[in-house]
Amino acid sequence: MTLMTRTPELAKKTFLYVALAVGAVFVLFPFFWMILVALKPDEQVFALNFILQKPLLKNFVDIWTNPSYPFGRFFVNSLVVATSGGFFTALFCSLGGYVFAKKDFYFKEQIFWILLATMMIPGMMFLVPQFAIVTKLGWINTYSGMVVPHLANVFGIFLMRQYMETIPTSIIESAKIDGAGEWQIFWRLIVPLSMTIITMVFLLSFLFHWSNFLWHLVVNTPESDKLTLPIGLALFKGQYTSDWAKMMAASCFSIIPIALIFVVAQKFFIEGLTSGAVKE
Amino acid sequence: MMEKLVSKMSPKWRDTTVALVFLSPFLAVYAVFLVYPIFYSMYLSFRTVSVDTDMFNIFSDMRFTGLKNYIELAKDYHFWWSLTVTFYYAILYIPLLIFSSLVLAVLLNNHLKGHSFFRSAYFMPNVLDMFVVGTIWMFLYAPQGGVISQIMNALGIDFFSREGILGSPRTAMLGVVVALVLKNSGFGMILFLAAIQNISRSVYEAADIDGASNWQKFTKITIPLVRPIILFMVVTGMIGALNSFTEIYAMTSGKPNVVVFGKTMEATRVAGYYLFRQWDRMNYGYAAAMSYALLFITLAVSYVNAKILKSSH
Repeated sequence: MTLMTRTPELAKKTFLYVALAVGAVFVLFPFFWMILVALKPDEQVFALNFILQKPLLKNFVDIWTNPSYPFGRFFVNSLVVATSGGFFTALFCSLGGYVFAKKDFYFKEQIFWILLATMMIPGMMFLVPQFAIVTKLGWINTYSGMVVPHLANVFGIFLMRQYMETIPTSIIESAKIDGAGEWQIFWRLIVPLSMTIITMVFLLSFLFHWSNFLWHLVVNTPESDKLTLPIGLALFKGQYTSDWAKMMAASCFSIIPIALIFVVAQKFFIEGLTSGAVKE
Repeated sequence: MMEKLVSKMSPKWRDTTVALVFLSPFLAVYAVFLVYPIFYSMYLSFRTVSVDTDMFNIFSDMRFTGLKNYIELAKDYHFWWSLTVTFYYAILYIPLLIFSSLVLAVLLNNHLKGHSFFRSAYFMPNVLDMFVVGTIWMFLYAPQGGVISQIMNALGIDFFSREGILGSPRTAMLGVVVALVLKNSGFGMILFLAAIQNISRSVYEAADIDGASNWQKFTKITIPLVRPIILFMVVTGMIGALNSFTEIYAMTSGKPNVVVFGKTMEATRVAGYYLFRQWDRMNYGYAAAMSYALLFITLAVSYVNAKILKSSH
């Protein structure tokens, strides 16, 4: 290859890498800055230096054990809400997805169609009536109040049905001949074969419940001991408007665990989140 | 006993029984928290919390006031303003989002080394908590001491440190939208990337033979073939604007004030945020009426979009 043909190729590559890197800086800078400021002493918060003299864990410790805004507690609450939300959504949707995929029951397609139609309704619509129901049930300031109203995830059923339809019916038939009952077929056969999609629905719902800000805000009063991370941060922000080092440390508790889960399980997140769009 | 009964049924009835049992947990939550609220919300929208309400039983103690909430809503210029702001949000957000998603997709489509690293990096902010990300951006934008205003100051532009991006009615919404675009572009990027990779290589090769430039290939081949994705992003972007709340709550709380036709309004108070404020003031009947209005707007938007989608196929 001569230099003549090589140079434009190299120039193109260089340009592309620079462009990709600039894009990554724009997208990731806020999180880089969050971590950096959280590690700084108070007097350095506004300084434009990108290098730490010595990283401090003080902000993290302070905010984790803060007596009026215990972010350690908020973190546990967020974990409980997101894990139980993810678990029960995955359970309900796998049970439902299975019968839609493999059973031939009366009004099956009509019911499925109605379920899908509710996905069109904007979430804002449910704010007042769901709040009224939760109030009447006495579920204000409880985990149930935060989790249960959002367990009927239609998109989850949709994903499960699609996946489970690919399981050959012949396997189910032969299990039946061997004397397996409905429950056994579901738990011993369908669930192990559908672990991929179950994990995906669990992770997507975990994420949803971790960030379900408006609803957590509505069903908790400020005195609640069930406050989740973003609500805790919102209250802290209202009280200490300029204590940015602490706020960034508190933000890390919400951002870093999700970022780590994303790095490990990104295939699930990217496929799951975009699958609704690619269908059509 | 039960087993016997089930085994005597016709197969379809048997399947229906099993389906009901398996679906019952899902349907129970669905009925109580998704179906019932639609009707209950309608019921509430004809009622108003009275001044002397029983504070421990507010929802049962609301008084019937007929269409009063809807009439007030139609006359409420704050409501119409919030719809205008929502529209403004969509007009800024959707084109910027499509543009940056497409740029990232085209850049990534060259399959350079490290391409999967960049793909993950761009997508990652999508999964992070909106409120927390909004708070970080508020810090970046802060007029005193925020990184952006400091860098701009060093470059001799003092606009950012005077009022701040989020403090000026002219730039507040743009500030919110830029933060959102940088958070959400990775999503559109994945969709565009999948579509571009579906375009057969031979199409581009044929264009090469005809002597088409890169720009011509982009505008004449790539853009028309990713049109369905652009339409999808317009639809979801509009519905997203009608549902927007957290980003506004995190970054501006609907502020700053702006004077429109002699009335003081809030520059970033989108419909979702206005609805929340009504809930916050315990105007439950009014908020229910407003959510019905928003439902009809959303359905109208979806309907128009579906028509456009159909005609484009």
